[in-house]
Amino acid sequence: MKKKILNLLVIALFVAVVSGCLYAAATVVRRKESNNKYADFFTQAEKGNIDVLFMGSSHVINGVNPASLYKDYGFTSYNMGGHGSVMQATYWELIEALDYCTPKWVVVDAYMLEKNYQYLDVMNENTPQEDIDSSIDQLHLNMDCWPLNRLKLAAISDLIQDKEIRKEFLFDFMVYHDRWNELTREDYDVLAGKNGGEGLFGGELRYEVELKPSTSPDPAEGEVLAEHTVGQEYLMKIIDECQRRGIGVLVTYLPFCPTTEDKIAANSAGVTAGMYGVPYINMLDLDIIDVYTDLNDTGHLNALGAKKVTDFLGNWLLENADLTDHRGQAGYEYYDECAARYADNMKSGAVNADELYTQLEMLSFGDVGSVVYFNQGSNAFSDDGVKELVSKMSGTDKIVNTQGPYIMINDAGSGNVYEACGEEMLDGVATAMGSMVYQPVEQRFRLLYAKENEEVNYLYDDDHIWYDVQVITYDKNSGEVLSHKYYRSYGSKYRQD
Amino acid sequence: MQVTSFAFLIFIFAVAALNYCLPRKFRYILLLIASLGFYASLDIKGLIVLVISILTTYGAGLLMDKGTANGSESGNGKSGNNLIFVLCIIVNVGMLAVFKYLGFFAGTVFGIMGKEAPAISILAPIGISFYILKALSYLIDVKRGTIKAERNIAKYALYVSFFTQIISGPIDRADNLIPQFNYPVTVDMEMLKDGFLQILWGYFMKLVLADRMAIFVGNVYDNPVTGTITFIGTLLYTLEIYCDFAGYSHIVIGSARLLGIDVMNNFDAPYLSKSIAEFWRRWHISLSSWLKDYIYIPLGGNRKGVARKYLNIIIVFAVSGLWHGANWTFVVWGLLHGLYQIVGFLLKPVRDFLVKTFKVDRESFAHGLVKTVITFLLVNLAWVFFRADTLAAAFDVIGKSLSFTPWVLTNGELFKHGLDQANMLLLAIGVVIVFVVDLMSVRGIVVREKILRQPWWLRWIIMIVAILVIAVCGIWGPGYDASSFIYQQF
Repeated sequence: MKKKILNLLVIALFVAVVSGCLYAAATVVRRKESNNKYADFFTQAEKGNIDVLFMGSSHVINGVNPASLYKDYGFTSYNMGGHGSVMQATYWELIEALDYCTPKWVVVDAYMLEKNYQYLDVMNENTPQEDIDSSIDQLHLNMDCWPLNRLKLAAISDLIQDKEIRKEFLFDFMVYHDRWNELTREDYDVLAGKNGGEGLFGGELRYEVELKPSTSPDPAEGEVLAEHTVGQEYLMKIIDECQRRGIGVLVTYLPFCPTTEDKIAANSAGVTAGMYGVPYINMLDLDIIDVYTDLNDTGHLNALGAKKVTDFLGNWLLENADLTDHRGQAGYEYYDECAARYADNMKSGAVNADELYTQLEMLSFGDVGSVVYFNQGSNAFSDDGVKELVSKMSGTDKIVNTQGPYIMINDAGSGNVYEACGEEMLDGVATAMGSMVYQPVEQRFRLLYAKENEEVNYLYDDDHIWYDVQVITYDKNSGEVLSHKYYRSYGSKYRQD
Repeated sequence: MQVTSFAFLIFIFAVAALNYCLPRKFRYILLLIASLGFYASLDIKGLIVLVISILTTYGAGLLMDKGTANGSESGNGKSGNNLIFVLCIIVNVGMLAVFKYLGFFAGTVFGIMGKEAPAISILAPIGISFYILKALSYLIDVKRGTIKAERNIAKYALYVSFFTQIISGPIDRADNLIPQFNYPVTVDMEMLKDGFLQILWGYFMKLVLADRMAIFVGNVYDNPVTGTITFIGTLLYTLEIYCDFAGYSHIVIGSARLLGIDVMNNFDAPYLSKSIAEFWRRWHISLSSWLKDYIYIPLGGNRKGVARKYLNIIIVFAVSGLWHGANWTFVVWGLLHGLYQIVGFLLKPVRDFLVKTFKVDRESFAHGLVKTVITFLLVNLAWVFFRADTLAAAFDVIGKSLSFTPWVLTNGELFKHGLDQANMLLLAIGVVIVFVVDLMSVRGIVVREKILRQPWWLRWIIMIVAILVIAVCGIWGPGYDASSFIYQQF
């Protein structure tokens, strides 16, 4: 008997060691996107630092930047948006989050309110399988980070019908074990306790510029969805849950290129919000973004658009939400650090971006001073996207009405913008680089120098004589040149080689 | 409940734990309940056929035993026994024929008549090919008087339905299993460790190797391309079917070991055989020995002249082919093996002459290597018919595999058929491990025993690494077709 008990103890110990090893293996092979996105949530929620939760789909992920919100307003928030998150997925994301923290406000975006199906693995009768697969895959981003418990079980049971697929969410090792041949150092770092937080508090910035934003007809005024949808039901549940817990709710509809159906859904979101007496902001109706410069694609905002939307929300919260500015307060050092890192990244992006559109977009933030020059006859003069970006920066439409040459000096430190086109000159304009003189001479030769140092011509270089676009960035305080990019235009494409 | 499923692991460990705790005399009841439950979870309707087979052979065994006892007194027993025996054989073989071959035979007959065969779609009960052979071997052994009929129906039912064997064998014999049900041994830690190691080895062969090879093989056989890629595909199928079936056998033999039961071995390094005859002594041993004992020898074996011997070989291998599946591809596969052996016998004088002329040392490594390679290639060729859906497809694969395009090994083409470089490397390492283990087995060294003699910490490391490799690198989970064992379809 004694031997039997001893054997059982040995077996139990072996099982425990094997379980530990399997847990470690599962941690290593797990796809890290979800952990990375929510790593900072767990640490900040534990400290009780999160005042605002932004809920919704990828529109929220790309459209609201908590680091920017903190940098400019001092409000602590977390972006809980999930790619492809329909309202029921958003609801469960909120419920999971509320298990860890109680924010003062929840901002929930109502995109996809019109979706009228319960299960993500079933959707509608005619939904293509690849859409379902994509939806399931995206749900992993929302769900993988949460520990296996009754709440997660309830969430998965509510979102997924197929029991086999449910298992994939409850025991994700069965999905991810075959990543063994693509593991990187980052995967193993988890074992050393590195959490992989990305410093944007769940947000994600995109840097492309949508050159052809789409438009759709407006619906009849006040037109709402013809039937009560699953999406509406879960928006109501979200509001109910927040009100029950005494959390303020703001319903939004973030801007993008909406279809007519989206506009109808946006109207319906307003009706639902109205039923509960909670504030609602339909940004489709507001002139917050410029669809020609602020979209990454027709559905998502780029960094510039996100900055504008975040600023708008920051202002709204400042005026309506009674939130505390935590900047510089003890216990919020990580937010301070991330806000500073975000500012550095934006500056670095403006200086080092490899795409002309991206660089112009990043320069719009005004973190660095810049000189933008287009040679006479450049294809850029027939590129509406580039002209729009430059025009937004300069605040004039000078570039719209010229065939070049064209120069714009955006002296971010002083806030002054100087422009010249055609035969015009700039004569000693004050910038951080010095008193700059610009003089066009001939098509491939022009002068740009500081009066303090006339020997340096910034706009001519024998090695880049055939490049028709130049972008110079400089420190807005010291005037030190940070980068000098040359682009050659091919239609509306720009290459540096 | 697939043997590779997590549910099976829980099931086997739960049954093993209960078996460990139960008094010995009740263990067979637990195992019978577990076996019938296991089978019901796979094929509830098929349970009826299983029960019929059990009842008919059990009853026939008792009647024949009784007839033999009465016959020795009255003299009428023998003819009565023959009638019971024949009727029982007809019932059981008839069930097998109806469920498995009706469509095939109908198609063949109607094809010969030039008519379109009626659509016959009968789903064969799982494992019918295996448990019917077990039941028949029991019946024949009782008829021969080599064993006594089992009186306890539960023990006999357990023999036929033993859950570790019912899906794909091994096709064990009553004189091996039933005494173990009657007198269960004490399950000690050594048995548990040995069984567990064997299970791990089986999972490694199945999930890490066989199912990984299946990806490449499926890709090649679905769209055979002219050149060495197809040849590699045929080689990998040869290895796949071994890793698949031997892997299964190791899992179920190891599982039985956890229950304190020794099941007959099914594989013994078959691809290291130096002749086709030796291959069949090492491949699917339980079936080969069944065919030898219950078909080849009753047909006269090699006792009735050379021509009859060759005919018997052809019959046995044709039956073997047909047993594997109701398709001409399986028949050709079987006949090829029969033909190999006959040609081998016919060419023996020529081979002896060559050996003598060139003064070849038959015991030399080089001679052995050549024989092993030739045997392997012949087996490889036959497996093409086994794998292909039709004879035409098999000939297509063979034709295309003969084109020599070795650059596919270096130009990256090899990695475009479902397995990237890392997977191929893993596969290569795995195949080398299997080869080394088989080589040691041929030399009488059992790797498991070697491991079990190591200090506990080294054993633990080996087992934990094996578990991690299987769990992480095994082909399982969504995204993969939860591939059942190849032999399960038979």
